[in-house]
Amino acid sequence: MAAADVPAVRPGAPPGSALAGALRSVGMSLLPVAAAFVVGAVVLAVTGWDPISVYRVMAREAFGSTARVESTLAAATPLLFAGLATAIAFRGGVFNIGVDGCFVLGGLAAAWLGAALTGLPGWLLIPVCVLAGMITGAVWSAPPAFLRVRLGVDEVVSTLMLNFVAIGLASWIVNTLLLAQGTANSASSPVAPQAELPGLGGDVTLGLVIALVGVVFYGVWTRWSASGYELRMTGLNPAFAQTAGISVPRVVFQAMLWSGLVAGAGGAAHALGVVHRFVDGFSPGYGFTGIAIALLARNGAVGIVLASILFGALASAGATVQLFSDIPLDIVDVLQGTIMVFAAVQVVDLRRRIRRQAA
Amino acid sequence: MGQILAAATLAATPLLLAALGGLLNRRGGIVNIALEGKMLLGAILAVVVSAETGSWVAGLAAATVGSAFAGLLFSLAITRAGANEIIAGLGFNILVAGLIGYALDDEGTYQPAGVATIPRIDIPGIDAIPVLGDVLSDKDPITYLAWLAVPATAWFLASTRAGLRLRAAGAPGDSAYALGLRALAIRDASTVAAGAFAGLAGGQLALGLVGLFNQGMVAGRGFIALAAFYFGRARPWPTAGACAIFALFDAIQIRLQQEGFSTQLVSTLPYLVVVVVLTITAIQTQRREAPA
Repeated sequence: MAAADVPAVRPGAPPGSALAGALRSVGMSLLPVAAAFVVGAVVLAVTGWDPISVYRVMAREAFGSTARVESTLAAATPLLFAGLATAIAFRGGVFNIGVDGCFVLGGLAAAWLGAALTGLPGWLLIPVCVLAGMITGAVWSAPPAFLRVRLGVDEVVSTLMLNFVAIGLASWIVNTLLLAQGTANSASSPVAPQAELPGLGGDVTLGLVIALVGVVFYGVWTRWSASGYELRMTGLNPAFAQTAGISVPRVVFQAMLWSGLVAGAGGAAHALGVVHRFVDGFSPGYGFTGIAIALLARNGAVGIVLASILFGALASAGATVQLFSDIPLDIVDVLQGTIMVFAAVQVVDLRRRIRRQAA
Repeated sequence: MGQILAAATLAATPLLLAALGGLLNRRGGIVNIALEGKMLLGAILAVVVSAETGSWVAGLAAATVGSAFAGLLFSLAITRAGANEIIAGLGFNILVAGLIGYALDDEGTYQPAGVATIPRIDIPGIDAIPVLGDVLSDKDPITYLAWLAVPATAWFLASTRAGLRLRAAGAPGDSAYALGLRALAIRDASTVAAGAFAGLAGGQLALGLVGLFNQGMVAGRGFIALAAFYFGRARPWPTAGACAIFALFDAIQIRLQQEGFSTQLVSTLPYLVVVVVLTITAIQTQRREAPA
């Protein structure tokens, strides 16, 4: 790259310009989002809506007032956990799509203990419930991690399948062992009042803080710690990592466990902070939105926060837009699906491929 | 018993069609996570076109062609733009469900007037025989077609030039290029076929029994089909066997519920079985590769 292409680089920055790299990765993340809004605009226009004014209303409903910002942040909270959980695995080159199952079972464990241990004070009960959610999530991702590391079983299929098993299992437990007295519809008893996460204004709870602390830890860990470096190396090039003396199986195993643990914490925070019990349909696919978030963020900590806020904004704005203007909430799914399809396209590969074909 | 077998045969049809499509795609080198979305697309197209034309054949044709076309777009994203097949597949499922949900405007169900459903065929003589009659008679033509497609697929893969080329395109390494084949085009063709099969499966689901569309009607069948061809290791007969077993689980569910078993647990069985089968397969492979 010619020196003239590089914008003013901070002295001491590594060669190759971190800034240019950052700009490029931001551009690559914005591309799928832009594509999604174009597709969404076409869908809206075809069905007789003015896309610009709909998007303007959505922006206002997402960020227009303190109350709306709070609602967006509340919607972003489970997504932060799911995005972070997915990113941890993806960073290590592990294609874990079992975050949804861990989220559900973590939520179930927390809701159960939150309703059972009513004698405990809140300062003890909340950590116990969250810890139970974390352990449950980690335990649920252990079998596919073990199968991948020991037997080479493709984690994509095993984790995908185990999501369905987790959802069925949770549904069975809530309908038999934990069914609340007097409810017909698949819900556990509400958690004790002191188990509910403290609110921070609007629907925002302590869960948001827990998630953000997790993201900060992740950012620091992957950037500045030896084990974080091992994770990145394993993700970038497992053969090289192995040659360099990194135990790739150990790193992969731990990445999946951490991923499950964070997902379980997310489920616990969602159960204690939002739902206050466990119900069938606890997660409307948070784990899959988490995949979209990790992709857009390219597994970076800052990106996870931004992408979670984006999807949180879409969810909260979509709900009110549906309420007031009759535009189905499904438009949010249209946007999310398009973002995933376009984010899956490797722009770099595409350019390289085109160059190779031209050569 | 007879009722269960009859119900299982009906339940097997969409699974079998979708699984055969996924199997062809898998043999061509692509794991198709988007069968679910393509079944949903096939179901809505079948209902819309059947209601418009009053012809179930036209409905099924629209479902097949429409989903095949969606399969082509999906395939081009993977083979030409280098999209990750898993993420693109998950995104495709969400996108299709979102588009259909948007179009239905939170009604969830679409039941226009004049939907022509698929007629049942009674086979005289056989319909009176216990068991055999339950399985063979009083089925829609697509069910017979689906089972005929099993030996046809086996023959196609084993004995035709196109089948050999498909397997070469999906084989690891550069064997297809070594043979001078256009691997990407072959892969595209297999994804189009998977789309067509899954679309027909969705169409049969919508027009076979009730003649309406519901957002939740595919209900994970695309993923069970995925489970089936993983169970069958992408071979036609074992895959068909898996579909039959999973359909039997489905049909037995109601009976088991009466006996006090949980439908929620029974519904997880296909998925659990796949993880077990993958594990056993991996252990066998490891034993074989380990020095004696």
